[in-house]
Amino acid sequence: SSHEHKLNFRKSKDLCLNYIQDAMLQKQWKRAAEFLTFYAEALEKDFSREYMGPSEIIWRIGTEILCHHSHSSIKEFNSFIEQMKTLGVKRYLKVCLEHVFRLLCNGLIDEAYQNLSLAESWRFGEQTAIQDKEMKLIQAYKGLLDYYSWSKQKNILLKLGQDGFEDLSIEQEMHSYFRKAAVNLKEILKIPGVWDLFLKSYVDLLEFYGDEEEARQVLNEYAYNSKFPANPNAHVYLYQFLKRHGESKKSLISALKILHDLVPSHELMIDFNTMLQKSKKRKNRRLGLEVIFAVLDYAGWKENVKAWSCLARQMKQIVISEKHLDWIKQEWNSRKDWWPAFHFSYYLAKRNWQENESLSYEKALVAGILLGKDCKYFRYVSHQGCKAQVKRFRILKKFVKKHSPDYLRISG
Amino acid sequence: MEFPATLFPSYFSVGPPQDEGGPAPAAGWGELGQVLEAGPDHHQAETMFVPRRGRTGESWEPADAAAVPFLPPNASCWIPSLLPQDILYRSFLRRKLQTSKYGPTLDFTKQLSHFFVDHPEDAFGSLGKLLHKNFHLGDSGVKVSGFRDSTIRMTALMEEINRLDARRGCPQEHLASRLRWFSHLSRDWLFEVPLGLLADCVHEELLLQWAGLLFNDSPTGGALAWLPPEDAGTRTGRLVYPGGQAMNHLYFQDVVLEELPCTQGFPAEFELNGRIRQVAAARLDGEDFIGVRSDYHCGVWSVPGRTGAAPTPLQVIRTSMPASCLTVSPHLPGELAICTQSGSIYLWNVKTGLQRLRHDPQTMFFRDHSPWRWSGFTAHPRVLSCADRTGLECLDARAPERCHFNLFKVGEEAGCQQGERVVLPMYLGRAHPSQHLVTTQFSVYVVDERLPLVPVLKWMHMMKSPPLFAHLMPGDPGRSHKLLLGASRTQEMLLLQYEGKNWGGMSACQLVGPPQKLHSIASCLQHLPAQLPHHHHLLQKRLSTPAAGLAATLQKDGSQESLLVFQLSEAGDVFYQRLTHEAAQPPAPALRDETMAALGSSPLFEDPASSPQGLEEEEEEEEEEEQTFYFEAAALRYRHWLKALSRRCREPPRHSCPPTFGQKRLFTRKELQTPAGPSTLHSQARQQMQQAMREGGRIQHWDLPDAQAPLIPQPPEPVEGPDPLSTRLTASWSGDWSLWWEQRSSFSRAQRQRALRERRQRQKRARGRRSLSASFTSSLTYQSELSELSDAGPPPLSPVVPQEGSLARGSPPPSPAPDEALLSSQTLRSRGIPKERRKTLRDYLGVYAEGPPEPPEFLGSQASQLCIPSSQSQLSSASQTRRKHPRMGF
Repeated sequence: SSHEHKLNFRKSKDLCLNYIQDAMLQKQWKRAAEFLTFYAEALEKDFSREYMGPSEIIWRIGTEILCHHSHSSIKEFNSFIEQMKTLGVKRYLKVCLEHVFRLLCNGLIDEAYQNLSLAESWRFGEQTAIQDKEMKLIQAYKGLLDYYSWSKQKNILLKLGQDGFEDLSIEQEMHSYFRKAAVNLKEILKIPGVWDLFLKSYVDLLEFYGDEEEARQVLNEYAYNSKFPANPNAHVYLYQFLKRHGESKKSLISALKILHDLVPSHELMIDFNTMLQKSKKRKNRRLGLEVIFAVLDYAGWKENVKAWSCLARQMKQIVISEKHLDWIKQEWNSRKDWWPAFHFSYYLAKRNWQENESLSYEKALVAGILLGKDCKYFRYVSHQGCKAQVKRFRILKKFVKKHSPDYLRISG
Repeated sequence: MEFPATLFPSYFSVGPPQDEGGPAPAAGWGELGQVLEAGPDHHQAETMFVPRRGRTGESWEPADAAAVPFLPPNASCWIPSLLPQDILYRSFLRRKLQTSKYGPTLDFTKQLSHFFVDHPEDAFGSLGKLLHKNFHLGDSGVKVSGFRDSTIRMTALMEEINRLDARRGCPQEHLASRLRWFSHLSRDWLFEVPLGLLADCVHEELLLQWAGLLFNDSPTGGALAWLPPEDAGTRTGRLVYPGGQAMNHLYFQDVVLEELPCTQGFPAEFELNGRIRQVAAARLDGEDFIGVRSDYHCGVWSVPGRTGAAPTPLQVIRTSMPASCLTVSPHLPGELAICTQSGSIYLWNVKTGLQRLRHDPQTMFFRDHSPWRWSGFTAHPRVLSCADRTGLECLDARAPERCHFNLFKVGEEAGCQQGERVVLPMYLGRAHPSQHLVTTQFSVYVVDERLPLVPVLKWMHMMKSPPLFAHLMPGDPGRSHKLLLGASRTQEMLLLQYEGKNWGGMSACQLVGPPQKLHSIASCLQHLPAQLPHHHHLLQKRLSTPAAGLAATLQKDGSQESLLVFQLSEAGDVFYQRLTHEAAQPPAPALRDETMAALGSSPLFEDPASSPQGLEEEEEEEEEEEQTFYFEAAALRYRHWLKALSRRCREPPRHSCPPTFGQKRLFTRKELQTPAGPSTLHSQARQQMQQAMREGGRIQHWDLPDAQAPLIPQPPEPVEGPDPLSTRLTASWSGDWSLWWEQRSSFSRAQRQRALRERRQRQKRARGRRSLSASFTSSLTYQSELSELSDAGPPPLSPVVPQEGSLARGSPPPSPAPDEALLSSQTLRSRGIPKERRKTLRDYLGVYAEGPPEPPEFLGSQASQLCIPSSQSQLSSASQTRRKHPRMGF
């Protein structure tokens, strides 16, 4: 009966698909390709109302096989994809986009651009929400490629300018690229998402043409609009922009303060700390100590000499001036039950000394101040340092011994 | 802790998942996802792009054709795992009901009756004693008149019950009035435990068991851990795994990583108080901390890094609800995170004790019924991640109420599908301090704490059952990180590679190379020498038990890098496989692999001497030598393992009485069904038969090493003259059918005598020969007898056709099990014997096959498969009922 026939057909189809999957997962691309030719029959009698139909499966598997098969070329790949584009209307834009990605990764930028233009002009009935998103992406990537062309023309022009020539046609071409790129890039930046690539290009364009206001607005929107994800890069771009345009220390600090609240372990926090330490305001220096302590809370910074030397420098300053020892005390309070095991164990003292002498020096200074001269880390490192006749370790030992009453005030 | 300067573009929206997908078979292929410019400086002449997925990765090739046993088989009198047919209602109504949306039809009456039969004392002890005199169990009527009024005859009732049982599944099934009357009368008072209460409990337990059968999350995280050597110079690592009858022994085994990994010395052993569900390990300050989770106990051990140092137990805690997670902190020594099914999360420090961080029986982002919780560590030693099926959150242990943020949400944020649920989160700190892995039943995600909610990597993994185990092997700078995913039920394992570091700085996360499937334990079955059918079945069952954990290690041997993957099964067996890294990609290994797979031959058991030597060049010869050494060693391990397994299984269970075989019902419904799919052995046999038919040759061409091969006894001569069916029909047509029958029976008697005589002669001849031909002879005679009895159908085939190359020389080839093949209903049916006549035939054969009863070779549960199907009456099939009660919680 027809029902049974359908059932059997479906069974053998699934079995065939299993074989293909198996071969692919074992990197037997030739075998998979042979099976796929059988699977193509599934297209003819497609009874399924499944989430993913055979045509999509063939597109996905075929693409994957062509990418790994030893005898395939980009030409073959192109013709395969052209066939796939005709197989499903709903998927057309997605297939186009993936095709463009593949071309871009193979360095075929011009062909990719042509494909993007073609896809952009494609219309079929009413667009679904997903298709709308895909279309926007296509336009954005087209804008990005326009931006690259613009930047190429710009470089040529700059070179010509250096040599004292001028070329109006190149300049005009460049401006037209700018217009095309700016329109498309601006469009995608309105939609919530992660658009680092597009944003950087757009800001570069705007800065070149001196539209700082627009650039600032776009960057602010990208960083502070709550509909966008909490992307640390958004704050980094804004900070870099502000720095480029010579903004006041205050606005730089406020931009970094927000980044600190979001990602206390960000690498810009070292700059932030240096900036705050230099500040004359007490509040800022207080914040600086907080920032550097927070950075060293994270496992990724555990062996970073720069961060440790920042902390050591600031703590040394505080101890010498004997002012604001309570700052250290406050910071230490929430850490004293786990920092000793996390940073200042005997094992780490040995390892740090072996692997990185200056790291162990900075850490020993901090340990000496926070935990006193009897702390395992300090004792081991200073002992080894003195034994190895390194001058700074002798000074370190003296310093910590001299300030041991301060330790009592911090820990008490 | 640099953050990548640019991330791959992606949309971001909030809310519940919109994509109503499902398990899509090929969803992980073909997509590059997005692209990003590759160079740090885009002002160059040509811009290069990198894809999010699909860049070429490192090439790791499997060094062997299947997973190889690493340890001897676990010494468990192994309880077979629960199967759906054990608890589902077995009738043909089932098919109809199962497809309906009311869920499965649980056969809970069966479970109840098992209980009544197995524990009569507990079920109706006291009333049974009271009524003892009033129940008459004899065949005769109740004689003494004094008792007649107060005694009922139970025999008839029993018969009624038996008849009922035989009619099970019959649509016209209706209760006999006598039974109805009895149950109506006694339902309220007969039982020790009120029947309604008992039934409720049983039903609840059955539902739990069924849920566990669909998806069992208790082994999440895996119960296998690898403690790497202290430094790269020493090659002794340690494997921590559970074992023993109830998987409640914890072993620490030293392992030397040579060409093949070998155990060294005896393992340190600890007996625990419950089945070990999870073993987690982390190395801190040169010391390993191992957390062990069982349902109601969690313990922590420490092992100093030195080789040979003894593991010491540090602390044990008891939970009132089953614990669902135990992770060991990679930052602070002696710190662990525990979750229980009541929704509590604890930070456990060996020195300071337990600190409850959260208690919330509700799930975090939307309502989900699962009580499963998970917790892990993050880049900040005081911040813990906590997870349920709906997502992940990070909370600060110093102020858990105030400081927390969402890390991952099942929703549009991560582009999830409807119905997607978190299965396993894992901290990827060894690759990157702020990255986490989240697996769901459809996809794997890598999330970064610094960019919460937006996964930095997503890939549809296409695995058939959700990955419950994961193992990370961080790559050196410039190399990819290797990630192993493992599923429990299907034993699938996938090797993924991802990268997050390029051009000296951080780059956005990319999945590189195609995903790669590793061997599962069960896949080695096809490479093993052919077994007796029941051995094969037993082995198959043992090898395909769900996986219970995985561990892996990277091993460097000069320029040769290899990846050693260990896999643990729920039966407690540990297998390993090796993958070797190929820096440049010569096409040869792939080719070899393909041809191997295509031929279906097994290099594990290939005789090294028989491999073609002439074709090889000198260069390859060396490698080949190494390979054969390797294969040989692996084959040896297999042999040892198989031998040990069969020895363990052979230890006879001490039955109080020999198993009884009933003849009331010949075939169960299941047996009458055609098998789901032919095994490879079947298909090979069929292929050979077809070939033989084409060529008009014989099927049995044994590749015997000696020249005595032609001495193999000839197949029985075909019955001469016209085919007996047509003679019989002709006879009955002409009216003298009775005459024909008489002739026929006398003829067949003569023939049988002749056959007997022949057999005796053959036995005499074969006495001096090897055991192989002896077993063959006896099976052959048997068949020739059957071929007469069955009115000369086609001459039966020997069910086992030897595979070429699969026979190891020197070991006796398998002999077919004659009775099974003969008596199987399929064989009978294929001969065209009508159903009603099969019983007669069976009875006849039963008499024929009578001899001294063989001692039961296997465990009780297997005994029923060995013998002729017994009556389904629960009274007689004690072995089946016995197997049930430990898991039913009675």
